[in-house]
This record gives sequence, structure tokens and C-alpha cells, in this order.
Amino acid sequence: MRLTLRALISHGRVARKMGLGPESRINLLRNLLTGLVRHERIETGKARADEVRFYAEKLIDYAKKGDTDEKAMKLADFWLTEKDLIPKLFKVLAVRFENQTGGYTNMARLPNRENLDRAAMAVLEYKGNPFPPLYPVKRVSELNLVNQLLKGYREEKAQMATEKKDS
Amino acid sequence: MTVLGLLQFLGRSLHRLELRLAQAAGFDSLGPALAVNGPSVLPQPHHSSNEENSQPSFMDSIFWMAAPKKRRTIEVNRCRRRNPNKMIKVKYNIEPCVECGNMKLKHTLCGFCYEKISKETTNIRRQISVMEGGPLKAPAVESVVLYDSEKPSDADQGKRIVERNRKRPYWFSL
Repeated sequence: MRLTLRALISHGRVARKMGLGPESRINLLRNLLTGLVRHERIETGKARADEVRFYAEKLIDYAKKGDTDEKAMKLADFWLTEKDLIPKLFKVLAVRFENQTGGYTNMARLPNRENLDRAAMAVLEYKGNPFPPLYPVKRVSELNLVNQLLKGYREEKAQMATEKKDS
Repeated sequence: MTVLGLLQFLGRSLHRLELRLAQAAGFDSLGPALAVNGPSVLPQPHHSSNEENSQPSFMDSIFWMAAPKKRRTIEVNRCRRRNPNKMIKVKYNIEPCVECGNMKLKHTLCGFCYEKISKETTNIRRQISVMEGGPLKAPAVESVVLYDSEKPSDADQGKRIVERNRKRPYWFSL
């Protein structure tokens, strides 16, 4: 016998509750998405960044259909509250991600906010933005002591191999 | 037990308190202050005594509240205060950042390195706002950041160039 209402069990529900209700949640996410399209990198709470990510990638998928597409233009008009970003979305972001099928955004967790609330923060960015990268590019320097020793060892080995061949 | 009974009890106790205060001060509560002194205790109205007898300790007993019976010993207190669920949990996921050597959590970006990146980003954004000149003027072209004595390359054709008046930081490679 069913003892609880289906409404009280949230198995498989993907959308988080945010703000004052579903409409408020969409408004919050819309503001975040507008900010993301304008600045290409934003810092927010971890849950909000995770929610916006889905909408950010869907928006790019629709923008790839081109600005002549009715539905794409309607969605862009709804989601971007600042209308000078609509040309940017279609001409810059859609073009940048032409050759990719998904994964247009990067999300990384940050240390908790310094305020009293110690909120878990995250940074969300579109890939290919002009700012410094979040993850440092790994550079292997040849001038390390260890790398110099290894280089010497490899050269010696090569030398011995050629001597053996000659003799 | 009823609300009415409780209110009646409170009323009566207040009445009793008032009479006792008046007797202590020497006032005759039932007569004006300038009248002739009569007997200090005037006859009480009869209905109050009847009600007190009919419900003896019923109403008064309702005023028992929960209170600790015994002092908690320091041993019991220590057990409660030092219980693992009240102690701060030890973190085992701290490691040094590869770039700067400050401590960071494994699943998080390094705070120090991110602070550097964030400051540079704000400087770049300040330069962009100067270039744009006002709000809501985002151009529909890509941007590229060039530092001192850097020339735009072939890949930067058709992009908006954001100039920064400093040499390129070592952690911001092309």
C-alpha cells in the first residue's frame, strides 16, 4: 500500500529549488546567464553555478541554429535581459563553439566565501574566454636539475649504443 | 486545568499579592487615603474563600515546571561535551598547491592563485569598460588581451584588442 504521496518523494528530480518558487528560480538563473554571456566568467554559489550550466549549454545549442531561426531568437530574447548580448551570442559564442558538440562551459569550485555564511562558491566560464586560465598550464622546464641529469643520462646511453654498434 | 481556571487562579494570586502589599504599606485598600482609620483587615468577600476550598491544590499544582533534580557531574558533562559528534571533524583532503605552495582542498582551486587571476581579470574588465565607454555596449566580436610590446598575431585578425599596460604575467601564457 502506498504510504507517501509521490509529490513528497524526489527520486530523479534534477532541478533544485531556488529562490521563492519556480518562477523566481528561473528569474535568478536568467540574471546569472545574462551575466555569464556578458562577462564570460562569473563567481556564484556552487548550486547556482551548477543549475545555470545546463541552461548556458542549452542556450548555445539553440544559438547554433542561427539567428534566422524563430525559436532560437525567442529563447535568446527571453533568456538575455540585456539585449546588446543577443548579437554577441549568435555571432561570437555560437561561432566559437561551432565544432564542438557539448561541454562549452567549465565549472571549478572555489574556497568558501569569507563572509559569515561560508557559502560554497564556484566559478563558471565559457571555454575560449580571453581571461587568464583557471587551471595553470603545465610547463615542463628543461632547466630543472632532474631534467638536466635525465638529459645527460639519455645522451650517454645514446653514445654507448653508437659505440657498441661501431665496435 | 482549563484556561479559565488558570486565569481565575492568577487573578486570585494577584489580588492576594495586592492586599499583602497594601497591608505592608499601611494602606486601607478598600477605602480612600484620607478617611478615618478603621480595622486594618477588612472582611474579605466570601466567594473567594469558598472557591479556594472547593478546588484545593488542583490549580496550584499546575505550576510545577521541569527542573533538574541533581547537579550534572563534571564526568557526565565531559562525556557530553567531548562526544565525537560535537568535535570539529579532521580534514584529510588538504594538499599543497603545485604552483604557489599554499594549502588547498583537493577538489577546489587554490585561493591564492585564484586571487591573482581574479585581480588581473578585474583589471582587464576595467580596461574593457573604458573601451566600451558606457553600459550595454558589448560588441559582437571576440576579444584578445595583449600586454606591453605584443603585436596581434594572425589568429587575432578581426578581434577586439584589449591593451594592458604591463608585461605579461608568467601564469598567463598565450
